[in-house]
Amino acid sequence: MLKGYLCVVLHGHLPYVRHPEHDDFLEEDWLYEAITETYIPLITMFERLERDGVRFRLTMSVTPTLASMLTDPLLQDRYLRHINRLIELSHKEIERTAWLPAFNKLARMYLSLFSEARDVFERYDRDLTRAFKRFQDSGNLEIITCGATHGYLPLMDVTAPSVRAQTKTAVAHYQKVFGRPPRGIWLPECGYQPGHDEILKECGLKYFFSDSHGILHGTPRPKYGVFAPVYCKTGVACFARDMESSKQVWSSVEGYPGDYLYREFYRDIGFDLEYDYIKPYIHPDGVRINTGVKYYRISGSTNQKEPYDPDAAREKAAEHAGNFMFNREKQAEYLYDALGRPPMIISPYDAELYGHWWFEGPQWLEFLIRKVTFDQKSLRMVTPSEYLAENPKNQVLTPSMSSWGWKGYSEVWLQGTNDWIYRHLHKASRVMTELVRQNPHVHGLKRRALNQALRELLLAQSSDWAFIMATGTHVSYAQRRTKEHLLSFFKLADGVRADGVSEPFLRDLESRDNIFPDIDYRVHQ
Amino acid sequence: MKREPRKKAKRSQPSKGRAVTRPRAVRRAVTRAAAKKAAVPAQIPLHDMKAEESKYYMGVSEPVYQKSFAQELQQGELPGRYDEDVLVLQIRDPWWAHSYWDVNQATLARLKQDVGPAWGGCRWILRAYDISFINFDGTNAHRFFDTEVDLDARNWYLNFGSPGTSWCADLGVLLADGRFITVVRSNTIMLPLDGPSWVTDEEWMIPDDDFRRLYGMSVGLGSRVSSPVGKLWQERLKRDVSSRGLASMGVSSPVKKAKGKAAFWLVADCELVVYGATEPDARVTIQGRPLTLRPDGTFTLRFALPDGKQVIPVEATSAKTGEKRSVTPTVTRRTTRQP
Repeated sequence: MLKGYLCVVLHGHLPYVRHPEHDDFLEEDWLYEAITETYIPLITMFERLERDGVRFRLTMSVTPTLASMLTDPLLQDRYLRHINRLIELSHKEIERTAWLPAFNKLARMYLSLFSEARDVFERYDRDLTRAFKRFQDSGNLEIITCGATHGYLPLMDVTAPSVRAQTKTAVAHYQKVFGRPPRGIWLPECGYQPGHDEILKECGLKYFFSDSHGILHGTPRPKYGVFAPVYCKTGVACFARDMESSKQVWSSVEGYPGDYLYREFYRDIGFDLEYDYIKPYIHPDGVRINTGVKYYRISGSTNQKEPYDPDAAREKAAEHAGNFMFNREKQAEYLYDALGRPPMIISPYDAELYGHWWFEGPQWLEFLIRKVTFDQKSLRMVTPSEYLAENPKNQVLTPSMSSWGWKGYSEVWLQGTNDWIYRHLHKASRVMTELVRQNPHVHGLKRRALNQALRELLLAQSSDWAFIMATGTHVSYAQRRTKEHLLSFFKLADGVRADGVSEPFLRDLESRDNIFPDIDYRVHQ
Repeated sequence: MKREPRKKAKRSQPSKGRAVTRPRAVRRAVTRAAAKKAAVPAQIPLHDMKAEESKYYMGVSEPVYQKSFAQELQQGELPGRYDEDVLVLQIRDPWWAHSYWDVNQATLARLKQDVGPAWGGCRWILRAYDISFINFDGTNAHRFFDTEVDLDARNWYLNFGSPGTSWCADLGVLLADGRFITVVRSNTIMLPLDGPSWVTDEEWMIPDDDFRRLYGMSVGLGSRVSSPVGKLWQERLKRDVSSRGLASMGVSSPVKKAKGKAAFWLVADCELVVYGATEPDARVTIQGRPLTLRPDGTFTLRFALPDGKQVIPVEATSAKTGEKRSVTPTVTRRTTRQP
């Protein structure tokens, strides 16, 4: 008998990092690592489930920046170069570890993972959005959109046209990539500001997600806590995160990923091996970086590092999946009695957690899906659309402003290290609105300049830059990105106003910041 | 397979910091050797024949991105201010908001003129008005509080101390006689609640005790919570379960870093290089496994060397005569550690 719904949401996002002006660019590795370690393992999991006739129901955001990078020919070529280097390295590693059987086994594991990654990549014609689309079209995956460049919307509240531009551009891009309009949206950083649901409604979006307190602190009180969605006054539904299931995966103390049988993220041969040997596989200027080849498992407080044992780790992942399911069954049973209706349990995670940090994460998820499908009857995995279709009657309330960042509001993106950016972002946003008003119908060079100006503004708005400034690594890169997009924006704006757009400058920007080729600047109003 | 013609390494720009001074020739040599190796049917499981296709891939076609623009952008700086009258409030959390402002030169000049001789004695003030549930007309605020600011600081954090209330602020000057002149007024913000609302919904009523249990469950503290519901959120915050608190992009991992400040440490390890040469067409094995010769007949192998004894027979068989030669180094590694 049905006692509860489980809705697992993966938030797949990376900021737009693409530098044709450099042959090799450190921050582009974020994408390449995520492809090998997260997106491809998820795709092969979907393939296995489908092959075995498992009807899985997962919700996943593929942000417009991520989708744009996955469909970009330059980055596709570079990923191939990247994975080929890793394949070459793992061949060398198999040779080098000939006298260390435990490591040799791992070197072979990496060769097979990397080779499989390349095969999958080629199989989908180097465009992984096709893979995600395939599983959406087959009715298993529900792909949702996000802000166009993952701009944190509550800190754009004073410039509402930017909130609209972020949303409309995202929806149009989704339509182009996935061949249908999106039903839901992952608000960047789960950042909800009351009133923004009006813009979501305008864009045809039916639902979004918030953190727990989005609903819990909404007005009036939510009768079902976070265990049922609510409607905003606009009719857009809001689903809130369940903390209990979240912390089992996220928590640094109680979370599964810290288990001693799992792979250690921090020991990488890019740092561990002799310099001349590893040099061709680290950054070309000689700086040691992670290669993705990691041989150790997480160890306790002792210094003794044990080699990773994939079989033992897999067993553990299965056990953890069983534990997670057991806890959800108990939770659903309790809530079913308390609420008088089956609770909706929302478990959202950063997709890149799976595989990239938590190497065994995709295995865990696959075990979970299979177990929920075959081993019990009280839980059902659903997507938000499916839930709403079955349960259309829900309370109406105004969710509270909230985010899923540290402390639950905007402090991550608004603090001493990054608060200086908003003066400039808001100024640019007001200038953009003004330009749209003054130039409702323009063509040729001016139109191109206005479109590019909006691209630059959107790119400057990515919450990732403020986030990186706050966390303290890659800070100069984040500052540089913010500054350069804004400077480009202002230069274009000056050109438009003076009727003197420099075509070579514009052309260069178009080729470098080439995101959203079909953008329409008029969405910024 | 197309190989890019050898060009002078062209740098698109002398970028600061992340300059990529890439030893092209070296990389090329390495990959070429590797490509040869991969092409030989072999000692390694090769479901991998496509590897060589990309070995000569040297990156992208020359970027259209031009030097002058790149430098202009890199060296450009954003203006410190835009010389406009602006005051913006942004919510940081239920208690605090950030404000930034600027005052136009002309506005300032006019203001000085209006104030006249009293200008010397006036102070810049942020006046915050509590305008919860009203239409503010400039005079009907429930209350206000003043914060003295340095005009040139151009930003400040304000503590309102009352979640769930609405505010706007004026930046202005307070004259010695107590008069306040507004220079620019901010947007309005409504601070979020820091706990559940007291407003209930007739159709969706829930008894307080039930709600408290549900709230405990919702924030992951369980159903047997004893604190009043308004306190639970603070408890939840202390548990630190934020998500994006974990950075994406490998900045952080769900696993705690081993040690913050580690004690003094030392790592030393050994690898063994076995190298040699024979006729280029000879067949060579090492410890019984075939190995690949370079075109000139030389070979190099590299092994991680564990403690213990390694017997490493290297055998070559002539392709022409079938003659055999062997060389067998024996290596023993013994490692001691102190302390």
